[in-house]
Amino acid sequence: MIKTSAITKTVNTTQGELSILKPISFEVKSGESIAIVGASGSGKSTLLSLLAGLDEVSSGEIYLDGQSLHSMNEEQRAQLRGAKVGFIFQSFMLVQSLTALENIILPAEIAGLADAKQRGQDILEKVGLGHRGDHYPNQLSGGEQQRVAIARAFITKPKILFADEPTGNLDAANSDKVERLLFDLNRDSHTTLVLVTHDSELAKHCERQLLMTAGELSDITSSNKTPDINVPVPTIQSQVG
Amino acid sequence: MTKQTFNLAWRLFKHEAKRGELTIILLAIILSVSSVLSLSLFSERLQSALTAKSAEFIAADRVLNSRKPVDVSWITKAQEFGLNTAHQVYTRSMAFSGDNMMLVDLRAAAEGYPLKGAVKVADQPFAPGQATSALPQAGHAWIESRLFQNLGLAIGQYIDVGDKTFVVSKVLSEVPDAGFSVFGGDPKVLIAEADLAETNIIGPGSRASFSYFFTGSEADLNNYYDWLLPQLDNELQSWVSVSDDDSAIGRSIAKAEQYFLLASLLAIVLAAVSIAVAAQRYSQRHYDPVAIMKTLGASKSMVQQVYLLQITFITLLGIAIGTVLGFVIQQVVVWALAGSVDVSLDVWFWRPLLIAIFTGAICAVLFSLYPLLKLFSVSPLRVLRRDLGASLSSRFIQFFASGGAIFSLMWAYSGNLGLSAILFGSGILLVISLLLVTFGLIWLGRKLGQGKMGAWQLAWARIRRRAMDNAIQLISFAVTIMLLLIVLVMRNDMIAQWQNQLPQGTPNYFLVNITQQQLPDLKTHFAEENVDIEHFYPVVRGRFVAINDEKVSTAVSKEDEEAGQRQGREGLGREANLTWSNTLQHENTIVAGQWFDTNDPLASGLYGVSVEARIAERLNIQLGDKLTFNVGSEIINTEVSSLREVDWQTMQPNFFFVIQPQAMQGYLPTYLSSFYLDKSRKAEITELMKPFASVTLFDVDARIEQLRDIVKQVSLAVEFILVLVLAAGALVLIAQVQASMDERQQELAILRTLGAKGRLIRASVLFEFIIIGSVAGLMAAFANEISLFFLQSQVFEMQAALHWQYWFIAPVAGALVVGILGMIGCWRLLRLNTSHLLRQMV
Repeated sequence: MIKTSAITKTVNTTQGELSILKPISFEVKSGESIAIVGASGSGKSTLLSLLAGLDEVSSGEIYLDGQSLHSMNEEQRAQLRGAKVGFIFQSFMLVQSLTALENIILPAEIAGLADAKQRGQDILEKVGLGHRGDHYPNQLSGGEQQRVAIARAFITKPKILFADEPTGNLDAANSDKVERLLFDLNRDSHTTLVLVTHDSELAKHCERQLLMTAGELSDITSSNKTPDINVPVPTIQSQVG
Repeated sequence: MTKQTFNLAWRLFKHEAKRGELTIILLAIILSVSSVLSLSLFSERLQSALTAKSAEFIAADRVLNSRKPVDVSWITKAQEFGLNTAHQVYTRSMAFSGDNMMLVDLRAAAEGYPLKGAVKVADQPFAPGQATSALPQAGHAWIESRLFQNLGLAIGQYIDVGDKTFVVSKVLSEVPDAGFSVFGGDPKVLIAEADLAETNIIGPGSRASFSYFFTGSEADLNNYYDWLLPQLDNELQSWVSVSDDDSAIGRSIAKAEQYFLLASLLAIVLAAVSIAVAAQRYSQRHYDPVAIMKTLGASKSMVQQVYLLQITFITLLGIAIGTVLGFVIQQVVVWALAGSVDVSLDVWFWRPLLIAIFTGAICAVLFSLYPLLKLFSVSPLRVLRRDLGASLSSRFIQFFASGGAIFSLMWAYSGNLGLSAILFGSGILLVISLLLVTFGLIWLGRKLGQGKMGAWQLAWARIRRRAMDNAIQLISFAVTIMLLLIVLVMRNDMIAQWQNQLPQGTPNYFLVNITQQQLPDLKTHFAEENVDIEHFYPVVRGRFVAINDEKVSTAVSKEDEEAGQRQGREGLGREANLTWSNTLQHENTIVAGQWFDTNDPLASGLYGVSVEARIAERLNIQLGDKLTFNVGSEIINTEVSSLREVDWQTMQPNFFFVIQPQAMQGYLPTYLSSFYLDKSRKAEITELMKPFASVTLFDVDARIEQLRDIVKQVSLAVEFILVLVLAAGALVLIAQVQASMDERQQELAILRTLGAKGRLIRASVLFEFIIIGSVAGLMAAFANEISLFFLQSQVFEMQAALHWQYWFIAPVAGALVVGILGMIGCWRLLRLNTSHLLRQMV
């Protein structure tokens, strides 16, 4: 489903070129779930942004469901995302001026699905928020907002789901709820899951764990040990961006 | 565009409107549309009423003056164009009554005259006149009061003009096209045009002038003029419209019109600034939704469509509310000023409405263009990296786009390149100066803001950190304050000038033909009756015959004389009023050469003459030229020793030619003077003048009242417009402060979270806004001075002056207003608890 071949990412800074990702090659099979773990600043979110086509590689190749993402322009990548990719973010990223239901059906509308509303209602029920469809994001708790985001991610039945620290902003009880929901839906819809997290417990739910260290990726599944991650405390700054 | 795209745009619009997120941008559009609509509709209605009123002074909308009768087909053609027509013949002739005779201004009016205004008549000389729609019957003549006085006539008696005898049936108090000549004109006699032939005074070589009057719609009048123009003989004919009226009223109206235009332009600029501020804020608030949509697969064109649709919805709603509001404001003002100001309610508001809609749409589109382009460029990566803004970021594009938009809007709206360029140029100058000042401030702030972190240091730290944002904010505050200052100062200066023109006690009577023998008695008599007369001017009538020995009788032309006869240009052509004096009249200013300071002749051996500057320009008279006058059989040669500027709007006796007294010794003058008599003493005038039957009295009270009326109306209208522009400016300031408050929200939340006291935060915000407000005010005062100098000297033809008081008022008012608005905004944020603030930002 995902195949990368020696992808790198460098950025230009005042001090010269900075390499964020060293050449990375790996493969994710269809329906597989992988967790990318690593310390803050190790480059895991950068890798996610490249895999999802939100950013461009500096070199190397990425294939998403057989399509060469690295040779596409922004428009083509958006089209591919709309057709095959779902997202869940740490800060939920809901449109504040749309209701929960409207947020959920947004990708379906963008994809031009005729039954968007029906699908939205169904999945809203599934995430247990059937009665909160008319509420705006700021009227929902963090856990509820993330459930809305999960519903939004699944409405178009994507082939691949990217989740960036999906429980990073939630307390333990809500984390559990969201975690369960995410993996249940993933299993039911046979979606390929790429999860970026610093939470080793969450990572364990995935079939494979990859460790990102200073821009280099290593498979730690077989080592069967808890990765040594320096878990950062989220700051106000990182919450508010 | 798909149905989904439309639905999404509509849904976003609906929710945002409901949640009050669109309030500022919507208010900005409503403001632009309603202020432009109410201003232009009101000024259109006022102008229509004023034009109608001033049209009365030429008795029509347009007049064709001709030195010979025009072809009948020209008049028939005018009627075919849908115009109303009338005509009148003017000539000068002697009127006789027994042994008495006098030169009169004979007017033979055909049916329909006057097309605008009214002829006023009375049954007793010097009695107040009543408007009449009738004209003298065949064989009747209506004559002015002083002709009764001079010829010793009474109603029902007869006068002879040429070969025909007329019965004097009415006192002619007023004709609309009398002009503003306050002295020297001959008494008017109005007869029916049908009687003119029988007088036999019109023949080859006679000095008659023929005026053809036209009224109708502007379009019809212009179409007719286009048809007529190729056939006009410039030597013989001239086409006159109200705007050509060079009288005091004509100029006051022209100035008022320019002021309305200026105020409307400034209202547009204010609206544009507020839309730009609001659109910027709107765009920034939508970075996240755009990033989300793009991440979820929305194409660039879909994002563009969604937001262009939203802007369209907002614009349409803004225009709809703005139109209703603008109309209501205007109606309220018309209602409030009813009785004081005449406005024409016949004017339907399509033109102002179209202008308002056009302005709203253009403002909304052009000023949201750059923020929208920025918005479209937001990367989807923002969903992961929240610090990413828009990739398109060029302040120069923004300045260029907004600047170009403002300038084109101003130019398109005013059609006046000069006015637009002056306003725009001073705006640019202000922007550049402000950028320099801001960076200067930042440098200064490094020094001032050092030390322990208190409110003062926090304020400076913020100003320093947000240098570019503050520069932009400063510029928008300063531009707003400058625009308000321009409107305020122009209004003050203009109204002061109008009022000075006709102060209380302006002479309302003129005395002409006082003989040397009568002079001492008249002075004593008037003093006994408690009537003040300041000055008596000696006058001899003379012909101005040559410049540098070159004859000018034809160059100055009969046309001038005839025009002068009706427009107060006595002194040109065949006869001029020549006066002499050693002292310069106080409304006169020497603009070239020197006033007579000795009794000796000039180096050339000739005595000096001082010539009014405008007539000198028209007749191409230069300093040092030799001017020859013919008085009776005597020749007077003089040399132009000075040119004078004369304020003809003061209703004081003024002269084109003032000769050095030594040159006029031996000539027997009559004297001319003016005096003020209170209205309550009007009844005494006949008694006052009884001992001096041969002295001619002109009553110009009615004219002065007319002038005052118009000045009052225009001043009131100007006040209203000032209030409207001030309100618009205040709203813009509020929008700006509110927009900047949003930017401060995050910082306030962090400070609160870190435990800063509300008092510290409030004080630091207050200091920051006071600093910004006072600097903006100071810069506005500076830019205001420059703009006013050009506006007053180049556009309004006023004396430009410095306005020092505003160098103090503007910074203080700026600091106060911006400070208070900032505090109100800050208060609102501080009322919310920290977690709510933080949540609002996520």
